[in-house]
Amino acid sequence: MLEVLLVLWIVLAMLIVFENKAYRIIVYFGIFSLITAVCYLFLGAPDVAMAEAGISAFSTIFFVICIERYYGRKGQTLVEKPISIALGKRFAKIVLPLTFTIGLFVLFIHFMPDTSVSTYLKELYLLRFMEDIGGQNAVNAILAGYRVYDTLFEALILVISVVAVSHMSWSDKTYVSDGRPSDIEGSKMAVLTMRIICPLILLFGAYIIANGHISAGGGFQGGLAVASFFICRYFIYDIYDIPVKKVIKLEELIFINIIVAAIIAIFVGAAAYLPAEFREIYQGAYLLTMNILIGLKVACGFFILFYRYIAIERGEETNLNVNKGVKS
Amino acid sequence: MIANIIPLDYFAVIMFFISFFGIITSRNIIKSIIFILLMQTAVIMFWLFLGARYGTAPPIVYELGMLDDLSAFADPMPQALMLTAIIIGVSVTAINITMLNALFRKYKTADWLIISDIARKEESDD
Repeated sequence: MLEVLLVLWIVLAMLIVFENKAYRIIVYFGIFSLITAVCYLFLGAPDVAMAEAGISAFSTIFFVICIERYYGRKGQTLVEKPISIALGKRFAKIVLPLTFTIGLFVLFIHFMPDTSVSTYLKELYLLRFMEDIGGQNAVNAILAGYRVYDTLFEALILVISVVAVSHMSWSDKTYVSDGRPSDIEGSKMAVLTMRIICPLILLFGAYIIANGHISAGGGFQGGLAVASFFICRYFIYDIYDIPVKKVIKLEELIFINIIVAAIIAIFVGAAAYLPAEFREIYQGAYLLTMNILIGLKVACGFFILFYRYIAIERGEETNLNVNKGVKS
Repeated sequence: MIANIIPLDYFAVIMFFISFFGIITSRNIIKSIIFILLMQTAVIMFWLFLGARYGTAPPIVYELGMLDDLSAFADPMPQALMLTAIIIGVSVTAINITMLNALFRKYKTADWLIISDIARKEESDD
């Protein structure tokens, strides 16, 4: 099964290489990410698979928003001048990079180590994590306990990305009051379906966040689910009413809270001094707090990214057509 | 069956080099951004193959008796690291798309060659 999926994976990547229609590339990319998530599941990584599924949905939406504005609803070809058939140019543009890539590939295969992988850290973490950090999910214990600095760094990167996107997106307005109605507004069935699904999505997100230390899932995956609730809300009611600046403030506040919680847990290290009967409660409370804080932060971050892209998309000029706008 | 011919983790290496080829040959910025994402996916897949070399059970321990046979579990360490890498990758993608929007705004195209032509012309005018 895994072999078939991996072959499909390669085939989809080759399709993306040789495809020139804008929307087809995005659809291939979505299928590619779905196959990737299933492969991760086969490799025993349900947490990573959930994160990949959520992330792929979000990046597909971002790409669709970006392409719709500049390439129109029809989705024209991406390449504006076709590659000329002349032999010299074809050699420079296809054969030379292909040779270079194949050469690198052969070098990589030749020097790839095939010795056995050390399992020292795996055994150490799996044997000790229930005692040290608590919970039943080893991945979540590593994220919130052993390697909490990595989590802080990654949360910092997300904050930086959100700030950069909201400052670089050239639109000073944080509200876009006048909107054109979305296409699905006429379709009662789609809206009804989304209205039924929306509370379930929110419930699912809360479940993943709260159960992160017991089963697969955690702050990131639940936060992505919660953020997708806001996307559904936008598509149902077609309104843009939540002030983005306040949400950015909220996200920064939550980030400071994450740092404080991590510092308290690491430098004070209360679990070591507590009597044994309180230790489990403390550990559970710490993991739950970290998961909820990270989930809220990720939800805020992706919500802001989505709203900024919508603001770009609904900005001043609608539907700049690329192929007509080129000057020679 | 295929696993007898080539080891399965070579698929990740092949994917890495396909996306490398895509990055150096694609003329469109959207395609380049997508290939950077694919390259990241290939690296993540390679790490997970390393972690799953001695067992593919998810590292979730429901009872202490499961810990007797550690070789059944996948390695939780690469999974935690790759979870971090996925979030960083999507942050980078978000910034990439924003920069692409700025380029679109200025040059009205997403073609590397046309953008570099226009930029060179502007430079020589100054």
